Amino acid sequence: MAFRRGQKVEVYRKSDDESWEDYMNHFIGFHGIVTDPDTAKNDPGALIEVSLNEKGTHRLPQDCLRILEGQSS
Amino acid sequence: MANPICEVSNTLRFLSERISSGGLSHPRSRHWTEELLKLMGDVAWGRGGPEHWNVMEHLGRQMAEEGPDEACVEIGRKVLAALSDHKEAFISHIETHICPTGECVKLAPAPCQMACPAGIDVPSYLTLIGLGRDAEAIELIREDNPFPWVCGLVCTNPCEFMCVRGRMDDPIAIKYLKGFAAERAMSEMRYRNPEPAPDNGKKVCIIGAGPAGMTAAYYLALKGYRVTIIEALPVPGGMMMVGIPRYRLPREVIDRESGMIESLGVEFRYNTRLGKDVSLEQLREEGFDAFLVALGAHSAYKLLIPGEDDFPQVINAIDFLRRVSLGDRHMPGRRVVIVGGGNVAIDAARTCIRLGCEDVTIAYRRTRSEMPAHEEEVVQAEEEGVRFSFLTVPKEIRGSDGRVTALQCLRAELGQPDEKGRRRPVPVKDSDHLLRVDAVISAIGQVVDSTGLTTLENLKWSKRSTISVNTVTMETSVEGVFAAGDVVTGPATVVEAIGGGKKAAEAIDRYLQGIPQPKMPQVPVRRRRLECLEVPASTKMILQRPHMSLLNTDRRRITFQQVELGYLENAVREEARRCLRCDICRRCGLCVEICRDKMGIDALQLGYLDFDRPSPTDFRTTAERCIACGACAANCPNEAIVIKDQDGQRCLSLCGTFLIRLNLEYCEKCGAVLGPARYHDYIAKRTQVVTPFVQGHALCVRCARKMAAERHTDILQA
Repeated sequence: MAFRRGQKVEVYRKSDDESWEDYMNHFIGFHGIVTDPDTAKNDPGALIEVSLNEKGTHRLPQDCLRILEGQSS
Repeated sequence: MANPICEVSNTLRFLSERISSGGLSHPRSRHWTEELLKLMGDVAWGRGGPEHWNVMEHLGRQMAEEGPDEACVEIGRKVLAALSDHKEAFISHIETHICPTGECVKLAPAPCQMACPAGIDVPSYLTLIGLGRDAEAIELIREDNPFPWVCGLVCTNPCEFMCVRGRMDDPIAIKYLKGFAAERAMSEMRYRNPEPAPDNGKKVCIIGAGPAGMTAAYYLALKGYRVTIIEALPVPGGMMMVGIPRYRLPREVIDRESGMIESLGVEFRYNTRLGKDVSLEQLREEGFDAFLVALGAHSAYKLLIPGEDDFPQVINAIDFLRRVSLGDRHMPGRRVVIVGGGNVAIDAARTCIRLGCEDVTIAYRRTRSEMPAHEEEVVQAEEEGVRFSFLTVPKEIRGSDGRVTALQCLRAELGQPDEKGRRRPVPVKDSDHLLRVDAVISAIGQVVDSTGLTTLENLKWSKRSTISVNTVTMETSVEGVFAAGDVVTGPATVVEAIGGGKKAAEAIDRYLQGIPQPKMPQVPVRRRRLECLEVPASTKMILQRPHMSLLNTDRRRITFQQVELGYLENAVREEARRCLRCDICRRCGLCVEICRDKMGIDALQLGYLDFDRPSPTDFRTTAERCIACGACAANCPNEAIVIKDQDGQRCLSLCGTFLIRLNLEYCEKCGAVLGPARYHDYIAKRTQVVTPFVQGHALCVRCARKMAAERHTDILQA
């Protein structure tokens, strides 16, 4: 699993996943913390729960996220 | 010059005041005004679409022309005037989602509230708990989440990850405080429902009595809808009841909170499975105006290895936990292996221990650091005697005479990270080995059981086998059918399901009232603006997050008693005082900049202001350096920093934290307040060239000028 609970991440691009919705374009560039990295089934394609700073908590596809180096909450 | 007043918030305030004044006696006036308030709220929060303008104008005109009473007509006229006179301001909110004055942003919720999928006003309820007003705190929480007690025990608390106090030391124990307040309010019989709106005659059917379904039922019932819940199980709660073991969430908690929903008149039809006991067509014939599908994700993925279907002792964790929750307390075997590494695997393993299994092992194909289960759950499982076999890949289930005897496994090692950064387990050659067990429980994931929904032909499904919805409104591809919870997200958290249920209730209400749906996700609503709890800076720094006491390990191994024992009351009240009240301080950093760069004092060490790279914070250093000039308070855009003179002292506080108290000095001549000595010295140092005569005297500006003028006269006369 690439993402861990408590890791700081950045929404760095639009996702290719079908679950990406137009309003999520506003999230690009925002930083947040992984709050639920697929605790149920460990699926590489799962949507993971991320709390974005000032933008709320959302289930996002993993391909739009990158871990901020040396950052953890 | 720009208008300093935002006309959108101004109109919002006006409507809100008119509703709360109680002056709208005619039901139609009240209804129209509430609709306008809702639309105006969308616009204020950047959620309005182009239709909002037209509908607001239409509604305003309707009220002005057809209003049943004078109050209604007046409101209609005022709203029409605001829309016409300040069209640019409204268009700016709708089209660019920008409030030109910044006033709407001023109401921005705290990071904890923003992070909560249900959008609970955390700082306000923590303050109420700090004041000992637990029942009020619960009342406030239930404005956004009808399950405060459940969430106080099992929430995954994203709020605590975003808690700004966590940048200083540890986040506030938000979850535990909520649990305490709910328990206390329930125990004191002060946990009550709000008064629902009168029956509006419309009927909504909800499929699934889990957290999403019951949340939607609660908010719809409060709005006056007749709600019926269809539930396949004989009990309410869904996954809360049959997926979460009793040692984490006692059944009484779910029973009491779902009982509150039932007491609003919501009808529960248990043992009624969609597609088997009742069809959608039959439900449509009953006259329901809208449907919410919230049937969860109760099916399990299979291991897909030989032997899986050959023995009754091979079960999946979801079925196992459901059986145990519904009263079957037989152990699955003496020696049990659970395959998987998520929370469900841990729950199954800890349940096996409590049922008396002698040897319980979790087999996971990666290492401990890759386990998706929460660390605290893993630690508690270890304490209870669960063993872990990492880097273990199941290959075949073996048995004889219809009974499982072993799980054949391979050892694995982690390969190089792939393009997504995941290190895949690679089986080690010739590493076959047997785990001697008599039961195998698979816990490798859940999936939606779509059996009952196949008659909905136009229902769109995602590639993850979940129902596709517009996640802002929870609308599905079928008109009048909404969906929320795990059936949309896949297996997720209780609080996400609650958030989804709340969104769905709001959208169903709009759908049935003919109100346009929002385009952007709802920004949580700040429910109160409470005074801050007053705490000295040193106390604020010293207070520490309390430790949660746990049931002793022996009892944990043999009973389903709740493991977490809860906080003592004193600890709860103290913990609430650690809150930084981020609903008031927006962390703009203007105070720090002014103090450091303009005044040259640098008395505010507030490292927590930075989300990405927080530096140390110490409220106590302010007392060493601050001159109490008040520049920080004067420039604070949200009145988070306050300076005031009281009882002969000048006090500076930040959201209730007293940073400094300095004795005031008074003018020797006229007695006017000069400020503290430090401030006076600071001013004197900078003005000594032009006012040398006041050296050694504590004088106000007026008296200093007067004295200087007298000295000049003396000099001239000499």
